[in-house]
Amino acid sequence: MKDAVDAKLIVNGVEAGVEIAPGRRLSQALREDLGLRGTKVGCDAGDCGACTVLIDGSPVCACLTPAAQAVGRDVRTVESFENGVLDNLQQSFLRHGAAQCGICTPGMLVAASALLTRKPVPTRTEVEDALGGVLCRCTGYAKIVTAVMEAGLAPEPVEAPMAGQAVGAAIERLDGVPKVAGREQFGADMIREGMLAVRAIRSPHESTGFTLGDIAAWAAERGVEVFTAADIPGENRFSVIPAFRDQPALAVSHARMRGEAIALVAGEPEVIEALNLVDFPVTWVPEVSLGDPDQAEVGDAPRMHEDREGNILIRGLVQRGDAEAALRSATHVAEFAMETGYVEHAYIEPEAGIAWMEDDVLVIRACTQAPVMDRDDTALVLGLPPERVRIIPAAAGGGFGSKLDLSLQPLIGLVTLKTGRPARMIYTRRESMSSTTKRHPARMRARAGIDAKGRIAGFEFDGQFNTGAYASWGPTVAVRVPVHASGPYFMGDYRARSRAVHTNGPVSGAFRGFGVPQAAILQETLFDDLAIKARIDRLQFRKLNALKDGEPTVCGQELSGVGIADCLESLTPHWDEALARAAVINAQKGRVRRGVGVASCWYGCGNTALPNPSTIRAGLRSDGTLWLHQGATDIGQGANTVIAQIFADALGVPVGRIGLIGGDTALTPDCGKTSASRQTFITGKAAQLAGAALRAQLLAMTNMGEGATLSLDEGRVCVTDGTRDTAIELANLQVQPDGYVISAEESYDPPTGALDENGQGAPYAVYGYGAQIAELDVDIELGTVKVVRMVAAHDLGRVINPMLAEGQIEGGIAQGLGLALMEEYIPGRTENLHDYLIPTFGDMPEIQSILIERPDPEGPFGAKGLGEHVLIPTAPAILNAIRHACGARLKRVPALPHRVLAAIREAGEIGG
Amino acid sequence: MNRFDYIRPGSVAEAVAAASEPGAAYLAGGTNLLDLMKIGVAAPDKVIDITRLPGLDRIDWLEDASVRIGAMVRNAELARNTAFSAAFPAISEALLSGASPQLRNAATVGGNLMQETRCAYFQDPLSRCNRRAPGSGCDALEGHNRSHAVLGWTPSCIATHPSDFCVPLAALGAIVEIEGPDGSREIDLAALHELPGSESAGGIALKHGEMITALRLPAEATSFAGHSRYLKLRERTSFAFALVSAAAMLSMEQGTITEARIALGAVAARPWHATDAETFLKGKKAEAEVFAEAAGIALKEASPSGDNAFKITLATRVLTRALTLAAKGTPDRVPALPASVFMSSEGATANA
Repeated sequence: MKDAVDAKLIVNGVEAGVEIAPGRRLSQALREDLGLRGTKVGCDAGDCGACTVLIDGSPVCACLTPAAQAVGRDVRTVESFENGVLDNLQQSFLRHGAAQCGICTPGMLVAASALLTRKPVPTRTEVEDALGGVLCRCTGYAKIVTAVMEAGLAPEPVEAPMAGQAVGAAIERLDGVPKVAGREQFGADMIREGMLAVRAIRSPHESTGFTLGDIAAWAAERGVEVFTAADIPGENRFSVIPAFRDQPALAVSHARMRGEAIALVAGEPEVIEALNLVDFPVTWVPEVSLGDPDQAEVGDAPRMHEDREGNILIRGLVQRGDAEAALRSATHVAEFAMETGYVEHAYIEPEAGIAWMEDDVLVIRACTQAPVMDRDDTALVLGLPPERVRIIPAAAGGGFGSKLDLSLQPLIGLVTLKTGRPARMIYTRRESMSSTTKRHPARMRARAGIDAKGRIAGFEFDGQFNTGAYASWGPTVAVRVPVHASGPYFMGDYRARSRAVHTNGPVSGAFRGFGVPQAAILQETLFDDLAIKARIDRLQFRKLNALKDGEPTVCGQELSGVGIADCLESLTPHWDEALARAAVINAQKGRVRRGVGVASCWYGCGNTALPNPSTIRAGLRSDGTLWLHQGATDIGQGANTVIAQIFADALGVPVGRIGLIGGDTALTPDCGKTSASRQTFITGKAAQLAGAALRAQLLAMTNMGEGATLSLDEGRVCVTDGTRDTAIELANLQVQPDGYVISAEESYDPPTGALDENGQGAPYAVYGYGAQIAELDVDIELGTVKVVRMVAAHDLGRVINPMLAEGQIEGGIAQGLGLALMEEYIPGRTENLHDYLIPTFGDMPEIQSILIERPDPEGPFGAKGLGEHVLIPTAPAILNAIRHACGARLKRVPALPHRVLAAIREAGEIGG
Repeated sequence: MNRFDYIRPGSVAEAVAAASEPGAAYLAGGTNLLDLMKIGVAAPDKVIDITRLPGLDRIDWLEDASVRIGAMVRNAELARNTAFSAAFPAISEALLSGASPQLRNAATVGGNLMQETRCAYFQDPLSRCNRRAPGSGCDALEGHNRSHAVLGWTPSCIATHPSDFCVPLAALGAIVEIEGPDGSREIDLAALHELPGSESAGGIALKHGEMITALRLPAEATSFAGHSRYLKLRERTSFAFALVSAAAMLSMEQGTITEARIALGAVAARPWHATDAETFLKGKKAEAEVFAEAAGIALKEASPSGDNAFKITLATRVLTRALTLAAKGTPDRVPALPASVFMSSEGATANA
């Protein structure tokens, strides 16, 4: 009998120099033993494909392959692709914008390479089929398919944009090479000498008391250290919104949710890895759980937080005119109630990071969307002044809102602070899903009326949002929803109420849209109810009511640059064609019915009625290099590229000359959080101001007029106005303490105003708008829905980078489609990526993006935000199309087959 | 994951000897066992890797025209085998509809047969589960059970068997060859997965130390090649377990069904071989009403085990449709999106 302990792997043609324990997963062996961290681990269960490698030419999941089974065989990883230069496939990914966050990219590349070996120019279906085992949460897959299909074709040369032409150019992402090379360092990818591994003990119950046993003995026996709430030196309460601090980093005697951490175990990595945590000395005393917000709101329900009566975290209200009176006199009135469930962000990268000490500064490098908030809250928990905590955002393998909240930062920080040693923690998929935030489940009711002309006459909305155990972004959702529940329409008589209710469910936080997607599901389907009642074409109905420049919003704000009418107008030919196609198909009265639906969105960019400045610094060094301190965290959406494009044009140099620094709280000024679709607008504006300021200095130094042209040479800046050439010799200038000879720093804070008690005011300086058409087939026997086409028109004010904008649209539609058709998180039951389903290649329709440019007077070069807008119309457009196809009016998403069948039966329009 | 010894035996006899010791478990492609070990549902202290045992990775056509498939043949390899997919197109379609290309490249024939239920309560060591911990009770009964069994269940267990591959196999009368501490034996595939009883939770009918070495399909099973389909309803287009599925295989003469083979997937603790419906179809015309009636017969014993009465409707409709498609004839090539209820118009070949 052979024991394979002496086994050595042959990876990328090289025999590994270390022996591999045979029972180890190949993914671990590659990453931890051989240091080949291009292979990513997303789920450790074969569900996401991020760890795909080739064994003897066949793609397999390294996470499910025992290392011993790979011994003696040809193992190929993403590291084998690049030989000095990127190979064709990698270049194609870069050129087509196929990598956003980049965490799935290595798996995609490896799976695609196996296909391309067999079939150098594959068809779309072949690509979808071959890559179907790799999940991507960012891109909506469209650009990946194109990149693979065109990998074998000679690339068309792309010229780098000249000075002043960066804005509007579909340039490749500036930070893209490491992503397609597999060299990007995500949270789990950095190691340090002497580091400890950290694991958490978490509550298996939704509500439970607990007592700890003899921890010291347990720890000593195993050679590990245990840390609990008692070890936390600072204030053991944090929250993204300081006024609502209620969440402990480690629970004290009571856990309010499943997955809540109560203790940390730290030790040598091999010890920690092998540790069985089942026998950790803790006694749980489960208590009755408030699982449902209806139950939590009842007067005698136990309070989850002392000061929150009725378990209400916060209420929101916006009212204008008299909705009730208007509804009384309306020609048609429609009323409906709908429900949505928990939705999981399902980024492919589970939370991960590493902490270490640099002198007396605690450095934390972890995935995040909000480095400065992380710094301040971690400092608070650990009892340190903020300047003693430095946050370096690791490349984030997706965020979508959940990585705005602290996760492991205070945990690894605590271990490093206590031990003085580096500490690394990598969440398991289950840990990531059970302990981090979700989209708020919503129960909503709305009533809307129209007058004889089809104009909205009264709109009422009431929404209950299950905010889970802790505050997180519950207040933001409760405030944003009433402001947005009208959609981008004029409503003179309006009342929208919301409330965020605590339960013992997962913490509901930020997820692309902060509650607005849920509200839009009800408002936009209610609009179809009204249009149908009034026998008005559904697109026409929306055009009729679309908000226009100068018309007051429901908050009484008068806007300019309102682009919704343009979006709806641009959809008109597509709408007519889709309806015609549907009519032909449905005339056959077959089992498959075609439906067409439309829905709109608007979304305010930035914090609601609160300051949220960004600051950008840039400077020239004496060697002529130009550096942009870009602190807007790029989680895949493209801030590194877009902000640089804006800065380049404001300064007047080619974007290719810019070197990027950051993000790093020690090196980059605060650009706020990557959320609320604010970075392109707010940080972009700061970059525009900083670029202009730097330019003004250079022009002043050379006494040149505004129209002059700049160029950077080695050690000098040349300035010309066509008649006169001059140069600034940078070496002659004084080097400032920051290392620059010339620099500029500018901040921008959008002009917003507080809302009064009726929600009236100016909550945002800039809104973005959009509308989407969904065209789909419903199988009326089986209740299945297949979206065949989406046309998405979005008003970006000014398109900074069309390729990245399309990527946002396609990715947002994928998430909206998931929300509409398949995603439903059930605590304790769907904590993996095979029971929690997100769209795969095969689920995605053809997507046509229409980019509308109706400049905003406030935005940089007229630009508006886009990131969240793109998800909002998708689900309601799909629901409206389902109803158009078969009459089914869904009361709850996702529209799973059993729900669609039940709704078809209830509608009674057709058999089923 | 617990610590365990890794053993790579050189022969089947060595493997059986090692695996017969307490706490030992066989390891094949690892696509199920490693996951179960990670989530704490399985904790063997010895893992016997049988993937390199000689002779278990072959597909042999025997003299009597039956076929013998070694237990370590990978799912992708079997589905891609030209002779096999020509003879058993519904099996190829079922295989290609399961999991992802990566998993099909690793997962084995034997491992597919041995895979555990996806019941969320079985998978959660903190839940009560008679299958995992006999006598502890069943939390699925009062829990989230939308996808649970509608046939052959008892209050002891309402879990389903998740395999696609096993569904056409059960219909075609596949035989499982087994080696164990007491020697060799063979059983019908239908008997490999035991239904729950009043006390027992059911499960895989192998004794500790026994391993599957091969799977055989009888010669007569090839007679359905012209009219074979597998149809699978799932909640996303690909890479998802079945909500319900059906294998329908007919042999026909001038529009009349001479023989039928039918099984349903994801409706019971084993692939559900619908023999009454087969008998009913014999001699009938291949017509829509006939198929609907046959499907009704296949599901006549069905009852909801929870919040899942809709599955009976869906299973009936999926089977009706699978029969209808089978009657139209096996497609030349397995369609892209194999077994999908969304038919592909392109007809491109699926990649194994």
